[in-house]
Amino acid sequence: MIEYDELENRMILKLVYYGPALSGKTTNLLRLHDLLEKQGRGDLTVLDTKDDRTIFFDLLPFFLVAPGGLKIKLKVFTVPGQVKHDATRKAVLQRADGVAFIADSQLSETANNFESFKNLEENLQFVGLDIDKIPLVIQFNKRDLGNIVSEHDVRSTWEPTGIPVFLSSALEGSGVVETFTSLAGHTYDHIDKKYFLKETHGLDRNTFIQQLTRKSHVIPAIKP
Amino acid sequence: MSDKNTIHYDHIIGADKDLKEILKGADLTSLLQSSGRSGVSYCAVEDAAGEVLYRYGTFPLPAEGEEQGPDNYICLKKPIYFEGEIFGYVVVSGNIQNRNLIEIITGLIHESTNTIIKSSYRALLATETHKTVVHQSYEALLETNRKLTLSESRYRNLADSLEQQVRQRTEELKHAHAKLLHQEKIASVGQLAAGIAHEINNPLGFILSNMNTLKQYVAKMSELLIFYRAALARNMINPGDMNTAEQQWKKYKLDIILSDIDTLMMESISGAERVKKIVSDLKGFSHIDETHKVDIDINKEIERTLNVLIHEILPDTEIIKDYSPLPPFTCNPADICQSFFNIILNAFQTREQGLKLVIATEHADGYIRIRFTDNGPGIPEEIRNRLFEPFFTTKEVGKGTGMGLNVAYEIVTSYGGAIEVGSVSGEGSTFSITLPLSDNASQRGHV
Repeated sequence: MIEYDELENRMILKLVYYGPALSGKTTNLLRLHDLLEKQGRGDLTVLDTKDDRTIFFDLLPFFLVAPGGLKIKLKVFTVPGQVKHDATRKAVLQRADGVAFIADSQLSETANNFESFKNLEENLQFVGLDIDKIPLVIQFNKRDLGNIVSEHDVRSTWEPTGIPVFLSSALEGSGVVETFTSLAGHTYDHIDKKYFLKETHGLDRNTFIQQLTRKSHVIPAIKP
Repeated sequence: MSDKNTIHYDHIIGADKDLKEILKGADLTSLLQSSGRSGVSYCAVEDAAGEVLYRYGTFPLPAEGEEQGPDNYICLKKPIYFEGEIFGYVVVSGNIQNRNLIEIITGLIHESTNTIIKSSYRALLATETHKTVVHQSYEALLETNRKLTLSESRYRNLADSLEQQVRQRTEELKHAHAKLLHQEKIASVGQLAAGIAHEINNPLGFILSNMNTLKQYVAKMSELLIFYRAALARNMINPGDMNTAEQQWKKYKLDIILSDIDTLMMESISGAERVKKIVSDLKGFSHIDETHKVDIDINKEIERTLNVLIHEILPDTEIIKDYSPLPPFTCNPADICQSFFNIILNAFQTREQGLKLVIATEHADGYIRIRFTDNGPGIPEEIRNRLFEPFFTTKEVGKGTGMGLNVAYEIVTSYGGAIEVGSVSGEGSTFSITLPLSDNASQRGHV
């Protein structure tokens, strides 16, 4: 949690989209930005890219007010996937409340997925977070491509771990909101345990998720 | 969160900013000024709490007790949304007649402020992330540096103690080596003793046997002497007595005894002398009385060594001695004899029969050179440079210690000398010892 100000009755949460380089983390946020209602969220801030590669991070903020008056801001970040930007990844991961790991479904990327997941484990530990406790979902992206790891393999590998797994094509928009919804739900559960969102602030799980994932009525133009 | 492995930053990426932090005055001042000159009487940007951050002109204050300002003025207030919530307001006020203008100006300032906020916010995020990353990288470098320093000192300690360990091991090895050299000496003494015992036993055997014979001879001679003494006492030697005396003489074979006594005596004396010589050679070889350095004649020491090895010399062995006169050499004689002993003994063991050993000594250019040349089978080239290694042996397990030539090498080099081997396969080998006199002279006086 980035900040909880009782006096101001204000809470700032952080979700992080982690994963190997070019796995589609930024595309996920772009799709969320397009698919979700403009009301209650800010614009997507894409910070300093070079050749379409993220150097720092992207940021998509959401804002909602609990019935009890608690103002909740939820900031969704991406990290730079390239190995050399590890310091930035550590900095972004600091005080995260939930992580979506965006894996690349292409068979050729298996090793990179593995490396990046290992890196996530190390960096979570580095910033003092426990990978076994932090809300975590996994998304296997780029299902629209050929030569990808089979759904059966994905499920048989990850389902035993209890970590929710989603198949997606961020480019086409499928699976993106589902991933975000799942992560938001898990994050709610995690925060509710400690801050009694429902009991104290009158904010139940469904309302929280609905507020964050209201679909936009404007049908977005799919970028090539 | 107090885990010692975590690093805490002053700045958390994503921490909220208020409008004042993002919006710098200079960005807006000229815009507000231009707006003011274009016909509105007041324009301002307020934060979310309604506090005026930047403004131009004066707000037409409502009169005392009234909620609104003067009737002919209107005031437009447009919220600025940022990250989904109200971040601040644009407030524009002016004469109601200019309502259109006021609306346009409000929209203009709102749009511009939004743009400025977005770009400033991005710049701010980038800067702070950069600062955080640099700070973290620096911390990481410091940590790496600390670890390296620690590991360096650990290795330094290890290196130091390693040196000490090496010194200790070297000392132990030296000690063990010295002990081995001593054992080798004892072993050769043991071997010597066995041979010497045989050498001494031989003469002692016939001396003993001679003595037994002599004892019987003496008994017979004593009996005759008693008979003669009694006859003389009667003072009369009658023909009867004479006859008896002659019978006695013959009975005891005194003619033979008298002729044999001399031989027996001579044999026994020579035997005793042989024993005496052996003991003397042994004593000389071992130099029991000389534990410090003395001047010696190397030729003489070689002779002594050959003498104590006499039992090892097979009957058909030919030893050719080609000695030159040598100046005295200062050394511990027992050492030098030991090295000659080891080399000569090796030579004796090269052949079962027909051994020819040439021992040559010479003195030239301040060096004494001793050469031992045998006609044995020679030493294969592949083992020639290993001959002087400790424990290197070609003999069967248990037969040789592998220390003989090593001991010779140690002794010769301890006098600044050199020991070399030349060999032709099937023809024989030559061991050359070179001992420097000048080096040797400098050692005089040292014990």
